[in-house]
Amino acid sequence: MKHDLCSRPFSTPISRRNFLCGLGASLGSVAMTDMFAADGVNVPKLGPLAPRDPMIPAKAKRVIMLFMEGAPGHMDTFDPKPELQRLHKSESTIAKEGDPFKFFVGSPFGSRKVGQSGIDMCDQWKHMADPEVADELCNYRGCQAESVNHPEALYHMNTGSRLGSDPALGAWTTYGLGSVNQNLPGYVVMTELAMPQGGAGNWSNGFLPAHYQGTRLRPEGSPILDLKSQSNKVRGHQRRTIDELAFLNEMHADKHPEHAALDARMESYELAYRMQMEVPEVMDLSREPQHIRELYGMEDKETEVFGRQCLMARRLVEQGVRFVQIFSGGWDSHDYLEEGHSSRIRSVDKGMAGLIKDLKQRGMLEDTLVIWTGEFGRTPDNNKRGGVYSLGRDHNANAMTMLLAGAGVKKGSIVGATDELGMSAVDVVHPIRDLHVTLLHLLGLDDNKLTYFHGGRYKQMSQFGGRVIPELLS
Amino acid sequence: MNTKPSILKYPIRLAALLAALSSVVPFARANEAEDMDRLFTLKIYPVLAQKCFGCHGDDPDDIDGGLVMHTLDDILFGGNGFDNVLVPGDADASFIVTAMKWEDPDYEMPPKENDRLTPKQIADFETWINAGAVWPSEERQSEIRLAEQHVLENEDGIIMATSGGLGDEWTYRRYNKEEMWSFMPVQKPEVSTKENPINGFIDEKLKNAGFKPAKKADALTRIRRASWDLTGLPPTPEEVSDFIRADKKDSKQAWADLVDRLLESPRYGERWGQHWLDVARYSDTGGMANDYEKSNAWRYRDYVIRAFNEDKPYDQFVMEQLAGDEMANASVSERLSGDADAIANIHEKGEYTEQEIEWMVATGFLRMGAFDTAMVPLPEARQIYLDDVVNSVGQTFLATTMRCFKCHDHKFDPLPTKDYYRLYATFAGTQLAERPANYLPDENMLGMEEGKEMVDLMHAYASDRMNALEGKQEAAAKAWFEERGLEYINADDRKGLDDDVKPPRDIGLDYVDEGRLKVRKQDDWIWNRRKERFDPMVQSVYNSASFKGMNAKKLRVKDNNPEDTLENHILIGGALTAPGDPVSPGVLSALGIPASSEGEDPYVVTNDLDGRRLAFAKWVANPENQLTTRSIVNRIWQHHFGKPIAGNPNNFGAKGGKPTHPKVLDYLASSLVDGGWKLKPIHREIMLSEAYQKSGSHPQLEKLREVDPNNDLLAIYEARRLTAEELRDGMLAITGELNTEMGGLPIMPEINMEVALQPRMIQFSLAPAHQPSRTPEERNRRSIYAYRVRGQADPFLELFNQPNPNDSCEVRDSVSVSPQAFTLMNSDVVTDRSIAFALRLENESSRMKSQIVSAFELALGRKPNRKEVNRMTDYLEDMRVYHQRFEPKPVEYPKEITRSLVEEFSGKPFEYTEILPVFENYVPDAKASDVSAETRALADLCLVLFNSHEFVYVY
Repeated sequence: MKHDLCSRPFSTPISRRNFLCGLGASLGSVAMTDMFAADGVNVPKLGPLAPRDPMIPAKAKRVIMLFMEGAPGHMDTFDPKPELQRLHKSESTIAKEGDPFKFFVGSPFGSRKVGQSGIDMCDQWKHMADPEVADELCNYRGCQAESVNHPEALYHMNTGSRLGSDPALGAWTTYGLGSVNQNLPGYVVMTELAMPQGGAGNWSNGFLPAHYQGTRLRPEGSPILDLKSQSNKVRGHQRRTIDELAFLNEMHADKHPEHAALDARMESYELAYRMQMEVPEVMDLSREPQHIRELYGMEDKETEVFGRQCLMARRLVEQGVRFVQIFSGGWDSHDYLEEGHSSRIRSVDKGMAGLIKDLKQRGMLEDTLVIWTGEFGRTPDNNKRGGVYSLGRDHNANAMTMLLAGAGVKKGSIVGATDELGMSAVDVVHPIRDLHVTLLHLLGLDDNKLTYFHGGRYKQMSQFGGRVIPELLS
Repeated sequence: MNTKPSILKYPIRLAALLAALSSVVPFARANEAEDMDRLFTLKIYPVLAQKCFGCHGDDPDDIDGGLVMHTLDDILFGGNGFDNVLVPGDADASFIVTAMKWEDPDYEMPPKENDRLTPKQIADFETWINAGAVWPSEERQSEIRLAEQHVLENEDGIIMATSGGLGDEWTYRRYNKEEMWSFMPVQKPEVSTKENPINGFIDEKLKNAGFKPAKKADALTRIRRASWDLTGLPPTPEEVSDFIRADKKDSKQAWADLVDRLLESPRYGERWGQHWLDVARYSDTGGMANDYEKSNAWRYRDYVIRAFNEDKPYDQFVMEQLAGDEMANASVSERLSGDADAIANIHEKGEYTEQEIEWMVATGFLRMGAFDTAMVPLPEARQIYLDDVVNSVGQTFLATTMRCFKCHDHKFDPLPTKDYYRLYATFAGTQLAERPANYLPDENMLGMEEGKEMVDLMHAYASDRMNALEGKQEAAAKAWFEERGLEYINADDRKGLDDDVKPPRDIGLDYVDEGRLKVRKQDDWIWNRRKERFDPMVQSVYNSASFKGMNAKKLRVKDNNPEDTLENHILIGGALTAPGDPVSPGVLSALGIPASSEGEDPYVVTNDLDGRRLAFAKWVANPENQLTTRSIVNRIWQHHFGKPIAGNPNNFGAKGGKPTHPKVLDYLASSLVDGGWKLKPIHREIMLSEAYQKSGSHPQLEKLREVDPNNDLLAIYEARRLTAEELRDGMLAITGELNTEMGGLPIMPEINMEVALQPRMIQFSLAPAHQPSRTPEERNRRSIYAYRVRGQADPFLELFNQPNPNDSCEVRDSVSVSPQAFTLMNSDVVTDRSIAFALRLENESSRMKSQIVSAFELALGRKPNRKEVNRMTDYLEDMRVYHQRFEPKPVEYPKEITRSLVEEFSGKPFEYTEILPVFENYVPDAKASDVSAETRALADLCLVLFNSHEFVYVY
């Protein structure tokens, strides 16, 4: 018997014998409702990424987290310190005994209050300062990290643990809520060309099943490794390969009724085949109208990279992806703070403002949670470097700044405070785990109930439990 | 039936209630009052203390809901808006009961799912409240508690003897006896000598559950199972046909011979060494911010492989890894009769005996964790290391997760925090170092010369450019001094001067130069340090009470200040700033295995700096040590059946999975010791059992799955997916490309080129790209020899669940996800294997049908059936036509790559070039563009086979 290349000669409907075991396939799991609807079979939604109801009333349905890797200085972005400006270049009074000579560094930027709510922003923020955006924001100043090393602190902010082997916030979220689109990953991560410090541990599924791992859409080359066939193999060739595989696999599966994982594995190939279409489509920004591309700053070289990622994030959540994370590096200004931070701010300002405006005009900001944060804050003082007064800042775990916007967040507010030099948080002070508990709470997930039994105990995002920060909630 | 006194059914005021109470109690029967006192003291109060006081009283500044629960009066007083928290005599009216039952969604207490009270605990509260909520005096309570401490076993469980907790309440708490199985001595079960005892234990359980065991699997299934399990490779078609023939003649003998043959194969050590390295967290780099290379880490990897192949007794294996350096010290000292200068000379030059070197290499285990303490103050860096090593030792050798009792006494297990700090003290003098130790004759020196040349080349490239940029900078500096008529001061000497009397730091350099200089400096350092790869060193440890920095950049033996001493304390809450009682080095007391016969406390080891670890190691390797012996046989069982007997191989505690077959576990544990701690006899015993040889099919499959979904009864043999390494190595074996050369410098396989060349952040710069080894022979060796970089996993291996080495992996995941399909279908790596496979088939026969037959035999171990032959013939013919039409593009390897980074000072992007000299002279694997359309068509079929369930799973 001869077959055409692109036909599906022996393709039998996928046997559904074993789907009921809950061993859904893959990344995007199985679009089971669709699949069975075509067959006229009514099967309850199953699979590890099937959407699930929140545990408690939820404000947020999805998350976009903008991670400023390297740690922005809070006093140089959203938490101005006039006293520090006054002390600029004078000897530090907060240095610990035994420290080398340190001196205070005033922020190189001016600051002003913006919008009706009067949120503080340094003068480098132009688009964020638009009242339409600014009044949507909640600036939180009370969070404290623990580690002053980048990878550990990144792990901590992303996974709740400094060790880098636990599930990320996005993994817990998709574990708790599943994802709406079964042909796309539920948790998507975008980085610059270089991975952030600590690498994939920042979006790991940890001890949760692999379905909840963040899928990194690579910024260049193949968005998912080996997504495309070899160059000499056209789509029809791919179809045929999968059909031949299905032929062998079905005969094999018939001989092994005891082996429940087989159908799910075959379905992961079918899903892969669908994803080969869907992923490039969602990534194709040429379909966006010009004014939207401009809104995100895609027409300007300096703002293009981050703007593109923000626009992609909106497209992804629109398509039903649950959790999107963007890493943007270069904030680690130990020196040349003015040049470093102003260029970083310029690169993210427009994209982030565009994202908030765009979500708002689409009515999506109401149930989308947007977070902007680094892994920790920066110190008010600095060492000399090579004998020179280097105008930059060191790492500071005791104070930092972050923005929250959208679903359930108290907009137009400043919550918490740092001391007058910005050395430490002093009001509404909470550890990272409380922030995580709060974010989960907004998503309708109770950290104490969102547990997974592993290694002999129930584990949770906050490790040992934490508390919601009520001041952040609307 | 409601037996509450009717008077308490009505709401009453507090005062009246107290009055009522005082009158109720004296009238109760004496023994009932006694019972209630006991109930409160032993059941109620501990729950209140454990689950309520935390938020309701312990912190006077932070009282939840205004409710304090420290005393009866406090509780009766109630919280904000509640005066009915406790209504003595009426449990139903007491809101505390409602909250405990989680009946009011706003008040679910305690609020954490894991803390929820058991129905029995809630019932106790109801009994207590209904009987009037008597709260006996503290004297009375302690009287009851003291009396109870002498009752070792009661309805609440057993008391476990330990070195003692932070309080008596913990020390005398009770454990469910069944949950304490792992702390009980190994009980060697009675067995008959006629039959493999494992059969009896398995059958007994099956019979009780009403199931028959599955039949023996066919010969093909069994030889594939045994070959993959013991060697991580498939059997060759010849091995399969030989075995099938022998099996027909004498099935039992053929099987025993097969198992023996495989156990003697050097591939055995490579496969089982990998299991060990998963637990030990092997990696060639240190991870974290810098991901420094751990030069010569491979010597530990090879030590492990040798140990398995030589069947080194497990007790020795344990002791060498924990205290090999101390054993070597003792040996050196003895053979040189204590001559201090001669001894120092040996240590400095690394001129040890072979045995001593072997011991030193083994201590690489203590260096396997991710480690980089840049910017961490020394005391914390010490703590990070010690916490890590203590936990790793506990998980690896004692199936005990030590982290759980670092900050407090263990919540569930008889492991006091005191014992944690005893172990901590045992390792407290352990210092990290790369130590000189000559290479062993057995160690593979392959590639050393070429490797050195390559590193020199990379280094020269970086340093030349660094020097040029620094030259430019200094020339400008000179000009600066000259212009001002000042005398030139070189860069080092002017560092400390004021800004206005020296040139600006970046003089003569624009931001591109500055960025490049930083990169070149970092590369200069990286490649210079990488030369240490070729120095005979070991990643090891030494003992010292002096702490002089432990920067992972360079770890060397440092001078010991004889005045330094070690003092160890319990750290309250795990905090360095909160030292509690002092502790001595020691072992886990709950096992009841003494560590020494001297001194008052049998669980304490020497306080001398040297000998702590050795004493501890001997205790671990004590034949009576129930955790040690059970832990290793459990791991062996796990990798034969895809699941362990006790569910958590790194955690035998109360909350770990209980053993499905405790008798088998104890039988194997005692066999291990009886057999001189050798592992191969344990493999043999397991593999010769009926359980191991069972088929996967079962006549009562549906019912079986319903009753026993996890196959705990072992009625059938459960299929498992090949591990990442088995997939790669197996494909290489099938295509004939596998080079079985063993050991030595890590090899660089070809990995996804996008990942190989993608920029990877390390502190201050980007890490060098992954350059594959130059020739196929060098690259296509077993995966265990591949360079393992914490910051950059091989994406193929990672996708198939090679574990992240930052954490000990007790069991690997094997979920099917779509990216695996992408890789197996589309990647260059697997495509290359399919081409190599096709070339091999064409080499063996030019006829299409025999090529198909041979492909099935090589990949799946069997001939295809007629349906398969027909279908595959059609497929091949179609693909031949297809590939005539579609020509593949030739593959080109880049000889250099342009990197882009953001310059830190200016925030502007700059570019620089990284060279990839390996591609100057590269010998690629055969690519699609090198072969004919026929070969490509055949490769398509090979690819389908590599993707098939039948190849990917072992049955």
